[in-house]
Amino acid sequence: MENEGPRYLKDRKGYFPKDQRQRTRKRSREMEASVSSDLKKQRNRPGKMAYFDEVLKYGGMRFEELREFHKKGGKIVGTLCVMVPLELVNAAGARSVRMCSGYYEPVHPANELLGDAGLCPMVKSTLGRKMVSSDPLIDLIDLVAGPATCDGKMKLAEILEDWVPVVMMNIPRVKVGETSSDLWVKEIVHLKDRLEELTGHPVRKKALKEELSQWNEANQYWSEIQKLRRSERPPISGRDAMLVVQASQFDDIRRWNRKVKELIEELQRMRTKGIFAGEEGAARILLAGSPMIYPNFKIPSIIEGSGGTIVTDELCSGYRLMSDPVLVDGLSKKEIYQAIAERYFFPCSCPCFSPNDERVRRLKEVIKAFGIEGVVFHTLRGCHLNNLEATKIELALREISVPMVRIESEYDEGDIEQVRTRIEAFVEMIKARREYHRNPILEDVQ
Amino acid sequence: MKELFRGRNIRPFRFIVQLLGLGFMFGQMLGLPPFGTHPMLRRIFLPNASCRYINEAPTSCYYYQLQDGLTQGYTDVYIDVILMLLIVLMLIIALGRIWCSWLCPFGLVQEGLMKLRGSVGIPPLKLKWRTRTLLRRVKYAFLFFTVLLSVPIGIGALGIGGCQSTLALPFCQVCPAKGFFTVAQQLLGLEPWSTGLPWIALCSLLVFLIVGFFIDMAFCRVCPMGGVMALLGRFSLPWLRKDPSKCTKCRICLRVCPLDHDRVYEDMDADDVGSEDCTLCGKCVEMCPEEGCLTMMYGPFSVKSSRRPRKMGLWRSLGKKKGPEANNGK
Repeated sequence: MENEGPRYLKDRKGYFPKDQRQRTRKRSREMEASVSSDLKKQRNRPGKMAYFDEVLKYGGMRFEELREFHKKGGKIVGTLCVMVPLELVNAAGARSVRMCSGYYEPVHPANELLGDAGLCPMVKSTLGRKMVSSDPLIDLIDLVAGPATCDGKMKLAEILEDWVPVVMMNIPRVKVGETSSDLWVKEIVHLKDRLEELTGHPVRKKALKEELSQWNEANQYWSEIQKLRRSERPPISGRDAMLVVQASQFDDIRRWNRKVKELIEELQRMRTKGIFAGEEGAARILLAGSPMIYPNFKIPSIIEGSGGTIVTDELCSGYRLMSDPVLVDGLSKKEIYQAIAERYFFPCSCPCFSPNDERVRRLKEVIKAFGIEGVVFHTLRGCHLNNLEATKIELALREISVPMVRIESEYDEGDIEQVRTRIEAFVEMIKARREYHRNPILEDVQ
Repeated sequence: MKELFRGRNIRPFRFIVQLLGLGFMFGQMLGLPPFGTHPMLRRIFLPNASCRYINEAPTSCYYYQLQDGLTQGYTDVYIDVILMLLIVLMLIIALGRIWCSWLCPFGLVQEGLMKLRGSVGIPPLKLKWRTRTLLRRVKYAFLFFTVLLSVPIGIGALGIGGCQSTLALPFCQVCPAKGFFTVAQQLLGLEPWSTGLPWIALCSLLVFLIVGFFIDMAFCRVCPMGGVMALLGRFSLPWLRKDPSKCTKCRICLRVCPLDHDRVYEDMDADDVGSEDCTLCGKCVEMCPEEGCLTMMYGPFSVKSSRRPRKMGLWRSLGKKKGPEANNGK
């Protein structure tokens, strides 16, 4: 590493002006605070949500804990994708942090370096965050696990190698047959080896089994929340649900499980009392497309601020994080790794895979189960894969006469009003449509 | 033993059925009263490896009867064989390949091997796809050659009846179940020790035990009785059904299947995913995490559906510790 030297940035120290880090940090903190206060203003917000706010807070409680952990010699592993098995990271004695960034300000330093305006802003933001260390949490990371999924993520992992050791994981992008499964199992085992090397103690089968059952339990709680969101008046808003599930990527999963259990109990009480989130008669919206990482909650905020409610999503920053359990039949280590690998690979409907017919099929099924009235398909600028699939999905949705709106967004606040106009029109259209197209499924939902 | 019952909702039940089946097939040897005195009840033939070479057992595998009838039945116009096949046909239609994974004693032996392998911590050896599909044809080959060898012996005009002593019951000579049960009887002291052991069958038993230790259910993949059941499988009542709209393609069903039956995973159009090669052990149904995705059917009735368990450990648990929804009364 030292011999090679940085490959992307020749002069790391003098490249950015000294005040850029301070400025980026300040703006990031401000952005997080304003998004968080926005979330707190939601009507009928469950009190237990305060904990999840705290976990994701910029420099919040979880950061302090991780800093303590790091100071004592603990290792922290950053993940660039949902396909990294966090069970494995935790079983190796390290802590996991999802590195994908939702902050707007760090896009600028990355833009300066790469000069690619069309690149996915999430990739740029994640890179910029590390480059100028806009977040003290990012500096704690000892190892980055990056599956080479889309082009942006792959090169991001490569560039990040200039700052921090990276495990590149060669994910097979053609999802057929045995070869892809075998390759991915090997990659998972490779990740395990690197984690063992990092933390210095081996992944024991007992610890792994314990972690797996904790994450399976988390899965179960998440499906419980999804069940509550299915009801005619969801007691939790879409933004809050996304917040909860994203918190799991940072938090200690045992505590997360405990807190989510409390949250579910509160939500159930709310439901029996008839308290619900969002507006009366809000349009039931499904959010699809590119990931939306906290605090980039621009589009969800607009949707829920203009008479819609996000009933569910199919984002890799939401539903997909916790959609499947790892179920093991045999007890040998190889079988456990295979089970982990297959759970993170086969059910994943990321558009970087082909064939990806499951995505459309799942989407139709979810639309039916949740009584969805309209789909907002969000793509980040430069997310070609999602853009390409959007067309396919739009055609499929036309068959079942569910309207869909495609929205492309950047990591800045310039397009808020434009997006708002489009979403408001969409929500109006859905409500007007109700008189003619009363969704028959909606009545069946609880 | 505790592990066997842990967290699986079909497996314990199946194990009990297997034990009951053993009691039915071999109980008389252990002193249980016989079914009856009528000669028909002395030897009931079943479509599973309840071996003919277990003396005093009230049941036998019909494959013995088939070979025997073919070699001897020419003058009787195969009346025995035809009668027996009709009865077996009904048995197969009624229970399909339930006979294999729920009632076959040699299947139980192989599951014991799987269990042993698992407890030692050795992962199963997975064959290449091409080999797996080729192996499926071997059972038909066995079936074909058995008939090919047996029929000419029975036709006296061909004058090779003298071969009967050497070539009769061709499959039984190589069947590992015969080797297993003859030796097992002597080891258990049910039969006196004799030197006239079926050496060929013992060799094939050794091969299948070693192979079966590493490859799940090795013999089931090539069993010719399974071949007959596979030919008739389409008409049997127990079957597997899948609701493709609920499937997330997580591949758990394929991973846990001891016979690598891929249609359950692959097929996304038809809801009928059973196949003649599926032995209906129900592992996929109990492991599938999607509510109502896979269903075990008996004719038009659904027997058991997959479900999302209340509490999910590493395996599925029987719901002792209840999850959040338990108090909800939903």
